[in-house]
Amino acid sequence: MQLTPEEKRRALAAATLTLLGGGLPSAQAEDKTWDIDTAVMVYAESDNRVQAVEPVLKGTLNLGAERYFTAKLVVDTLTGASPNGATPASTPQTFAGPSPYTADPNETPLDDRFRDTRFQGVVDYQFPLSDMDTLGFGVNAGTEYDFVSLGANLRYARDLFQHNTTLSAGLNFESDSIDPVGGIPIPLAVMRPASDSDDDDMNGWRDGSSDSKTVTDVVLGWTQVIDPKSLFQMNYSLSRSSGYQNDPYKVLSVVGTDGEPLRYVYEARPDSRSKNALFMSYKRFVFGRDVTEISYRYMTDDWGINSHTVDLSYRWYFGSAHYLEPHLRWYSQTAADFYHVALDDGEESLVSEASADTRLAEFDAVTAGIKIGSAVPGRGNWSLRLEYYQQSPKLSGVPTQAADGLSKFDLQPELSAVMLTMGYRFTW
Amino acid sequence: MVAARSVTVAALPGGGHAGRFTAMAAPCEVLVDGVSANAVRRLTRIVAREVWRIERHWSRYRDDNIVHRINTAGGRPVTVDEETARFLDYAQQLHAISDGRFDLSSGVLRRVWRFDGSDRVPTAEQIAEVLPLVGWHRVHWNPPVLTMPAGMEIDFGGIGKEYAVDRALRLVVQQTKAPVLINCGGDLAVSGARADGSAWQVGVETPEPGPAPVIGLPAGAIASSGDTHRFLLKDGVRYPHVLDPRTGQAVLGGPRTISVRAASCTEAGVLATLALLHGAQAQEYLHDSAADARVWW
Repeated sequence: MQLTPEEKRRALAAATLTLLGGGLPSAQAEDKTWDIDTAVMVYAESDNRVQAVEPVLKGTLNLGAERYFTAKLVVDTLTGASPNGATPASTPQTFAGPSPYTADPNETPLDDRFRDTRFQGVVDYQFPLSDMDTLGFGVNAGTEYDFVSLGANLRYARDLFQHNTTLSAGLNFESDSIDPVGGIPIPLAVMRPASDSDDDDMNGWRDGSSDSKTVTDVVLGWTQVIDPKSLFQMNYSLSRSSGYQNDPYKVLSVVGTDGEPLRYVYEARPDSRSKNALFMSYKRFVFGRDVTEISYRYMTDDWGINSHTVDLSYRWYFGSAHYLEPHLRWYSQTAADFYHVALDDGEESLVSEASADTRLAEFDAVTAGIKIGSAVPGRGNWSLRLEYYQQSPKLSGVPTQAADGLSKFDLQPELSAVMLTMGYRFTW
Repeated sequence: MVAARSVTVAALPGGGHAGRFTAMAAPCEVLVDGVSANAVRRLTRIVAREVWRIERHWSRYRDDNIVHRINTAGGRPVTVDEETARFLDYAQQLHAISDGRFDLSSGVLRRVWRFDGSDRVPTAEQIAEVLPLVGWHRVHWNPPVLTMPAGMEIDFGGIGKEYAVDRALRLVVQQTKAPVLINCGGDLAVSGARADGSAWQVGVETPEPGPAPVIGLPAGAIASSGDTHRFLLKDGVRYPHVLDPRTGQAVLGGPRTISVRAASCTEAGVLATLALLHGAQAQEYLHDSAADARVWW
């Protein structure tokens, strides 16, 4: 064969390509392994408010070739009492219902019927479309005593620049139906007094029906590997919820100028809500060992709520296989436009929307916690996390004529809670 | 040869993890950028299974594989599997391209050449005795049927390890998007640049004392050939473990180690092997072939 050296080299390269390109053996049957994540969270609010126990079981089946099937089951057992929205009064207050409850003088009325077991299940499948793209979809369902939720989501991610950049887009759809005891109360209708025992459903003006809500979310994400030690992530999400937004068990007090309640009316929220949120996170490996992360989230919605969340954590690896992770979160939100601590006499016929739900009030909150865990590659790993949450409300939405009368009450007591989470993760 | 068929994962001093196993009498290592230890273990298992599979398939130390059937056929035709056929096609092309220097059947020369560090250089008569059993031109290859004169043997050892590295890499990149490096005894290939875009830094074992020189590898593969440990020394002449199948003689005056960087580990390995077979002209051969190589004499 009379070939020049260059021709020989080209012939070698071509022959090698043929050798290596042919009949690639299909990926050897890999061990299909389950990554099992188990956790139990215990949540306890101060003053015997809500207590919750939440076991979580999550399994991810690695099907090979970057294909993952995930199934998750969450059970929430809630007990305790939660504020019903009414303001304190100088005399005992009794609220109607299948099991009427009473609030002591000067106490924030708590609905102690708050008792529920929630189940939530998720199945999800994710697979690559090519070396550069991944598609994922999932469905989820949740049930509570008076509530059913069904949802589905679709996600797409594309890698660019040698996988250093990932752009993603996701779409979630959720449909909820609520069927409260005695039916849906008529917004701003007066809650019947407990003494009105002729009332069949003993719960005031409820129209006996159920209602529903749909939520659509669009999420756009950008993840950037900055260098081998740091990662930046940004997400923008738009959420649109339409349908029944009220909490059917929440009321507002209508108070006289002395601040004492005249009657209670059911809350009324707008029938839609649009939220925009921007999330940014920066994660960095430090000292070739630890991981630190800082994130910020801004949310604004058309109810008038704007919130800021700053989250800091540092994972310190000590010894060969353990870590300690302090965590601090600061949160602040403004009140919804229709948030009222209570309503002045007659104001309920002037407003079209009103709620005294403290979750719609202006408040700051701090979460501080510490997590300890093991990180042994290829073995079962445990973790234990203890967190303390402190909510500091700021008084807003006070009815003008009753402001003096109400000033003798603690209208928005602080809320604190302790959360303990025990986790164990293993491969099966 | 019984090797421990196990995969281990070790944390690296600079962060990350390395998967390790042994195959083809060489320590093998798998590095994956930016994934968990568990992922490294999973990917290393895939690599190890593929390398072990090729080792089983083509090892000349086994009596249950295609190489054994070919070498014991006693002149009868043997129908080979698709992968072996592809490799025999390749070997046939290399035999032509290299003017007969690359020859799968040269292993018979080991019967007279024993590279044990002694001075037992075979005589011309001894070589002449085995030479008729060497030479791809004596083989009748009509894919997928190979017919070889009785007494001849073939051996994929010369390039099997490099081929295994390439195949394992092709398998593993189907499983991860993360940058991967596979190294089997100094023959290595990478899936591309590291996560930060930088090149992998590869140390090359040379006959010289001191720290191993480092070669940057942003993509492709590196293979090395040499006779650092295997040679004969007689009357001051060093007879390296590099035999020309056309003459049955050791190729004298060549470099001790050659490292070649190429698109694939197999191509790099072939270039390094052929360069050694050019002896004193190794450098010229590499230059003429436009090979990206480093040579240690």
